[in-house]
Amino acid sequence: MMILTGKTIVSALRPPYPYGGEFISQFLFALRLCWFPLLVSTVAFGYGAPGLQAANFLVLFGALDRLGGFFVLASIREFAPVVTSIVLAGVAGTAITADLGARKIREELDALQVLGVDPVKNLVVPRFLALMLVTGLFDVYALLFGIFGGVLATLVNGAPLGPFWATFFTNASTVDLWGSVLKCTGFGAIIAIVCCYKGMTASGGAEGVGRAVNQAVVIAFLGVFSFNYVFTQTLLATHPEILAIR
Amino acid sequence: MGALLATPRGWVESLGTLVKFFGRVVGEVLGLRVLRFFGEALRQAGILILSSALVIWSLCFIIGLQCGIEGAYFNRSVGSPAYAGVFAAWCDLRELIPYAFAYMMAAKVGTGIVAELGSMRISDEIDALEVMGISSMTFLCATRLLAAWMVLPFVYIAGIGVGFLASYIAVVQQIAEVSAGGFSLIFWMFQNPPDLLYSLIKAMSMATIIVLVGCYYGYNAGGGPVGVGTATAKSMVVNIVLVHLLGMLGTQVFWGANPRAPIGG
Repeated sequence: MMILTGKTIVSALRPPYPYGGEFISQFLFALRLCWFPLLVSTVAFGYGAPGLQAANFLVLFGALDRLGGFFVLASIREFAPVVTSIVLAGVAGTAITADLGARKIREELDALQVLGVDPVKNLVVPRFLALMLVTGLFDVYALLFGIFGGVLATLVNGAPLGPFWATFFTNASTVDLWGSVLKCTGFGAIIAIVCCYKGMTASGGAEGVGRAVNQAVVIAFLGVFSFNYVFTQTLLATHPEILAIR
Repeated sequence: MGALLATPRGWVESLGTLVKFFGRVVGEVLGLRVLRFFGEALRQAGILILSSALVIWSLCFIIGLQCGIEGAYFNRSVGSPAYAGVFAAWCDLRELIPYAFAYMMAAKVGTGIVAELGSMRISDEIDALEVMGISSMTFLCATRLLAAWMVLPFVYIAGIGVGFLASYIAVVQQIAEVSAGGFSLIFWMFQNPPDLLYSLIKAMSMATIIVLVGCYYGYNAGGGPVGVGTATAKSMVVNIVLVHLLGMLGTQVFWGANPRAPIGG
């Protein structure tokens, strides 16, 4: 997998660049596949986990206006990137593995190589770049809908929205935002590499493709969460100013 | 726009067949017809324990660490590092361990079932079962559901334990701003047995749905090797959406009106 990562990055940078069309089609493919599951997931997650539970906690203190500040921590820093990566790995990642795996066992990848077409450059690189870009962009989308879940939780508790937005915007910082987007782009890269690798090394007929998809999702989830832990830890330790409650 | 709306419309259409299939499998289990194949159910239970439990627990562990550091840093910023235990108790038990469990169930067990049953379907093994006079639905789907119900509560409770341990490591050993005793005091004060039961109900309903979705997509796979891969990918989409909806519903039902926290009146 590390070798594939290296090869992908090298052949993405080295001319010629024949992957423009494939890049656009993969980008639109991921966008079309993921927008609806992501919408449902982020609203549900934002409303349930940080929304209701934290609102319950804050209502006891009569400090529901602090929910906005909590959503900066919960949604921007944690849940939006994580839910985005779960949905992208589960939806776009599995589709990529199934697609490449099917091509592998029908020997289309070997045929490409015989024709002198490099499968890494023409298949992996566009998927890698498209998934990285789409995950980073979807993070912003997930943020919006995650916060919408928080707005719903506020409204369910019968509180006005003004204090929610006020604490939200005083606590939000650009470090949080770029950290979130950067983290999510990293997730996209992990998912793309794992899924492409598992697809391209599928073997053993129909069951092989299914098994490849299975392994790809498991490895992608574990990889994403481990990366998340290391990244959050580093970000929180190196930027103590984002922790101050304002 | 039409293309964008095609996905949700297709889902609504397939929801009916999905529910019908679920009803039949659950009926087979609750009607005890599955007991004729109890040996097969035990074998599936063994496979679940040996191949999936460890992966599920490792995700629970990572999530527990995550909850721990977020909780510790958040409580430090409000000036009450000693209260990091609240965050660990609520975040682990009520929300994130059920989600982590369900994510890994969907990824490992759900797609595994689709891949297995799907390849049986396209190599005509399921039809062969029917020809031999064995009800394939009972033998393949109902036994898997029974196995899940037998094994997963214990796997899940152990997963909660792993998550708690990870939070403890993160808060007490790594960040080290609260003593072990102080952590335990707050940690146990903010949870009680009904919370564990609710969390278990939430996770088990997610697990049931995941097994059933896996069986449905595997059982109805078609279209050669490519079809199995596509069915596996599709089951994952449905699982993710249903898991999040169930998670939200569970939170709303169990804790929506009553935070169950030992604060105030």
